Amino acid sequence: MELICVGLNHRTAPVEVRELFAVAPSKLGEAATELRDKIGVEEAVVISTCNRTEIYVSGDAGAVRQLEELLGGAEHCYHRTRMDAAVHLCRVASGLDSMVLGETEIFGQVKDAYQAALQAGVTRGVLNRLFQKVFSIGKKVRTETGIQEGATSIGNVAVDLAEKIFGHLKDSEVMILGAGEMSRVTAQSLQSRGARSIFVANRSYDRALDLAQQMNGHAVRFDDWQLVLAQVDVVIGSTGAPHTIVHKAEVEAVRRKRKFRPLFFIDIAVPRDIDPAVAEIEEVYLYDIDTLEQIASEARVRRAKQIEVCEAMIREELDKAKLPGL
Amino acid sequence: MDRTVLLISTLLALVGAVWGAVSVHRGSRTWWTLVFIAGAFVAQLFFLEWRGQMRGACPLRDQGEILVFLAWSLTLFYLVVGRPYRLSLVGLFTAPVVVLFQAAALWPGVMSLDPERSVGVDAWREAHAAVSVLAYGAFALAAVTGVMFLVLDRQLKEHHLQSGLFRNLPPVRELLAAVMRLLWIGYALLTFGIVAGWMMSHRGGWSHLIAAVAVWVLYGILLMWQRMWGLTGRRLSLVALVLFLVSLGVFGVV
Repeated sequence: MELICVGLNHRTAPVEVRELFAVAPSKLGEAATELRDKIGVEEAVVISTCNRTEIYVSGDAGAVRQLEELLGGAEHCYHRTRMDAAVHLCRVASGLDSMVLGETEIFGQVKDAYQAALQAGVTRGVLNRLFQKVFSIGKKVRTETGIQEGATSIGNVAVDLAEKIFGHLKDSEVMILGAGEMSRVTAQSLQSRGARSIFVANRSYDRALDLAQQMNGHAVRFDDWQLVLAQVDVVIGSTGAPHTIVHKAEVEAVRRKRKFRPLFFIDIAVPRDIDPAVAEIEEVYLYDIDTLEQIASEARVRRAKQIEVCEAMIREELDKAKLPGL
Repeated sequence: MDRTVLLISTLLALVGAVWGAVSVHRGSRTWWTLVFIAGAFVAQLFFLEWRGQMRGACPLRDQGEILVFLAWSLTLFYLVVGRPYRLSLVGLFTAPVVVLFQAAALWPGVMSLDPERSVGVDAWREAHAAVSVLAYGAFALAAVTGVMFLVLDRQLKEHHLQSGLFRNLPPVRELLAAVMRLLWIGYALLTFGIVAGWMMSHRGGWSHLIAAVAVWVLYGILLMWQRMWGLTGRRLSLVALVLFLVSLGVFGVV
C-alpha cells in the first residue's frame, strides 16, 4: 500500500472545471466513504476548497488512473505518490500551494476534511499518521518561518495599520467617502475586526443609504461629511471624483473638537480623494493606494523568499517521521 | 560590597537592553529582557537595603543614592505597570535608562563610599524623599513611553513599516494612554511627596521644596491642558520627555 494524491487546483483547472468536482464541507466524509468503496482503496480523505479538490488514498499504484477519471481525466489533474504526495500535502496545509501564499484558511480546511474522513471511519494507519504529522509540520512552518508575515492585500494592509494605530478597533469609528466596492470591502474588514460604527457619505444619498444598511451603519449626506469627521478615527476615501475631496483646512477645522486624537486616512481612490498636504498635520496618518499596494507587494515578496526555507523544513520533518506508505 | 551589587544590577540591565534590542532587530520578542530586568530589580533592592542599613534611614542622602532609587522606581513601574498593559517592549527602552542612571551613580565621587549615619530620623522627610522619587520613576517611565510613541509615530508617518521594532511596538493609542496613566500616577505621588515636604523640618531652607512645587505645577498644567483641550501625541510625548529631564534638576537643589 502506498500513499497517493490525485487532484486539481487553480493552476491546473479553470473555475468551470473546479466547480464540477467541488464537494460541500458537509459531504466530505460521505465522499471519502464512496471513494473507498468504489475504487477499493483502504483509506481516503477528500479535500475540497474553492481553489482545489484533492483526494488522498492509501492503496495500490493502479488507483491513480481511476482517481484521475473520477476528476474528469488527466487533462486537468496532477498526481503525486509516496513522499512526493506527503510533501505536497504539507505544502497545501502550510499555504505554500495557495493562490495567496501563506494564507491561513487552508489549514483549517485540511483539518476539517481529515476530521470528516476520520468520523466516517475511512482513515487508518497510513492517513491518520500522515495527517497528524502534516498538522504539526504546518504549525511549525507557520510559526517558525515568515510565510504568513505581513498583509498581502490592500484591504488587509489598511486593517493592520488601523490596528497599529488604534489597537483594538472596538472603540473606533469609520467613515467611507464614496460607496464603491473597494471601500465596502475595506470597511467590512475593519468591521470584522470590531470597528464600532460605519458612516457612509456618497454623492448619491440613496447609494449611501443602501451601503449603510448593508453594513449596519449610518448614511451621511455628502455635504455633511465634515461634521462626522470630528468623531471618526478612520476615513476611507474611494469616490470617483476627478479632484481631491478632503483638504488640510477641513481637517485643521476639526482638530480642536477631536482633541487632537490620531486620525487615519486610507485613500484608495484614483484620482486621490485626500490632498497629500493633510499628512502634514501631526496626528494624521495618510496612506494612498500606491503606498498600500507597495506594502502588500513587499510582504508578498518576503513570503515568496520563505518558500525554500519552508520546503526544506517540510522535507526534514517528513524524513525524520518515517511514515508508513511513503 | 554595595557597589558590587549595584554593578551587577547595572550589568543585568545592560544585558537585558542588548538582548532585547537584538531580538527586536530580528523581528521577534523575548522574555529574557524581562528576566534580566527583574534580576536587576532584585539587585537594586539588595543595594538599597544595604545602603539603608548603613544610613539608618531611607538611602536618599547623596546624588548616587537618588539616582539608584530613581532607577529602582523606574524599574518598579515597568514591572508593575508596563507588563500588565502589554507594553512589554517598554523593557527594551527602560533598560538603557536604568543603565545610564546606575552608571552615573557608580561614577567615582557621585556616591559616598562611607555613608554618614543619620541621627534622628524625620518621618516626613523620609516620606517626602521616598514618595517623590517614586513619582519621578512614574514620570521617567512616562517619558520612556513617550519616546516609544515618537519612534512609532515617525515610522507610521514616513511609511517605514518593515523593521522588527515597528512590528513589536504597541499601538499608538495604547502608548498614549500609558503616557497619560503614568503621568497621573506620578502626579498623585508627587502631590503626596510635596505635602510631606511641607510638613518636614526645613533646616536647609525652602529652595528644594519650591523647585518641587514648580515641577508639580508644570505637570499639573500638562495634565489639565490634555484633559481640557487635548494635545497631539507628539506634543504630549515631547512635553513629558522635556518635563522629566527638566525636573531632574530638582535633585540638584537641596
